[in-house]
Amino acid sequence: MKKSFLVIISFFSILCNCQTEKKVNEKQVYLRWVGDIEQNDQTDELNFKVCNGDDKTFQYFNLGKGPDYSGEKSKILNAFKSKYQPISDKNQNGLIRIRFIVNCEGIAGRFRVLQSDYNYQEIEFDKRIISQLLDITKGIDNWKIQYRKEMPIDYYMYLIFKITDGQLKEIIP
Amino acid sequence: MKNFNLLIFLFSFSSIFSQPNCEAYKYYGETLKYEACKKAEQIENHYQFSKKFQEILDESIFIDSTFAYAYREKSVAYLKSGDFITWKRLIDKAVKFNIKENLGYRGWCRYQFFRDYKGAIKDIEKLDTLVDYDIGQSINGTYHLNIAKGLCYKAIGEKEKAIKIIENQIKLNEKEDFVGAYDYLHLGVLYLETERLEKAIEMFKKQSKTNELAENQYYLALTYRKLDNPPESISCLKKAKELYIEERKMFDPYSNPMDKIYLENIENEIKTAYNNGYK
Repeated sequence: MKKSFLVIISFFSILCNCQTEKKVNEKQVYLRWVGDIEQNDQTDELNFKVCNGDDKTFQYFNLGKGPDYSGEKSKILNAFKSKYQPISDKNQNGLIRIRFIVNCEGIAGRFRVLQSDYNYQEIEFDKRIISQLLDITKGIDNWKIQYRKEMPIDYYMYLIFKITDGQLKEIIP
Repeated sequence: MKNFNLLIFLFSFSSIFSQPNCEAYKYYGETLKYEACKKAEQIENHYQFSKKFQEILDESIFIDSTFAYAYREKSVAYLKSGDFITWKRLIDKAVKFNIKENLGYRGWCRYQFFRDYKGAIKDIEKLDTLVDYDIGQSINGTYHLNIAKGLCYKAIGEKEKAIKIIENQIKLNEKEDFVGAYDYLHLGVLYLETERLEKAIEMFKKQSKTNELAENQYYLALTYRKLDNPPESISCLKKAKELYIEERKMFDPYSNPMDKIYLENIENEIKTAYNNGYK
């Protein structure tokens, strides 16, 4: 009995190892750029358009102006300070990133959420926190229009929220 | 499209770290590292966010899964796009396989991109225990890592500790004639916040001489206000506004530096001063 049990364990162990090895050797598939967000017609606003095409979408820092906000960052801080209702819960701790595209008209779309604890391990926050942060972000209707050679561009932007005990502590960048 | 690529191409150079010397691996008989290194050299001329850049580094890691440089290079695009989960997974590998070269960098990034003060302190302090040489500057050259550590202590509420660390590092920086662009300003703000007002003024004046900034005049104005000197305070606020409009203010291409202010802050202070009857 003991012997056959060991044989079975060994067999499964080898099988698992093979699967792990296969996973390591699998070639990772990338989009054009790290972090590119493709349109998802099921969840994304259909009216949102990228003006210059997905393959010409910049990152917010590509033009060397730093994180640039309409009305400066204080406007963003004020929006969240006045609208976010803290969820008092000792278990709600970590980082939440909301990333999106700002198009040539300063309109944002294709919002995506990433969540982790303070050890950078993926978690899921209370949905009431996420939905509030998403709604407030989506409610900001004029993002900075960035220009290159006097032409308005599309760019990726993000906000990272530091949450401690359900309270919004900091907004980055 | 051609211009778009050119622009991105130019930006890629500003952030690639100095490449390792592949020949050194060969000299020391580390054949796999040599091959991984030669492969990684091919990232040159590719934007760090691009598919090709990432694929080349994957191949480099496939050759030698302990090649720290490849993990670190891969991590940068995730860092800059705010993907803290993937960034951390990759940079942890770089630290694991070459701790001395990557720990200070990881600590700095924790601070600069994610305001992870405790994590940054831990990394910088650990590096200090591992090496017997100066731990050096942040990757962008803005701060000595000890100044960054001091700012992290301030952020978690340990202001006295922050002051000691920053005071000591500024003394060393002055000896080397290598004071950071915002060092005096940060120390001045700490003095202001702990009511050492004369010392605060001394620091802001030093900052004026080395690198005048809107923030510097703003905090100087707050200090004069506390010293009950409204005329000086107003004059500094006006200077702060001028400097701000001239773009002479704190800047970081990726984030907003600690102690940074906005035009709204200056204007609110000016309004308050006038509302209090100062002309």
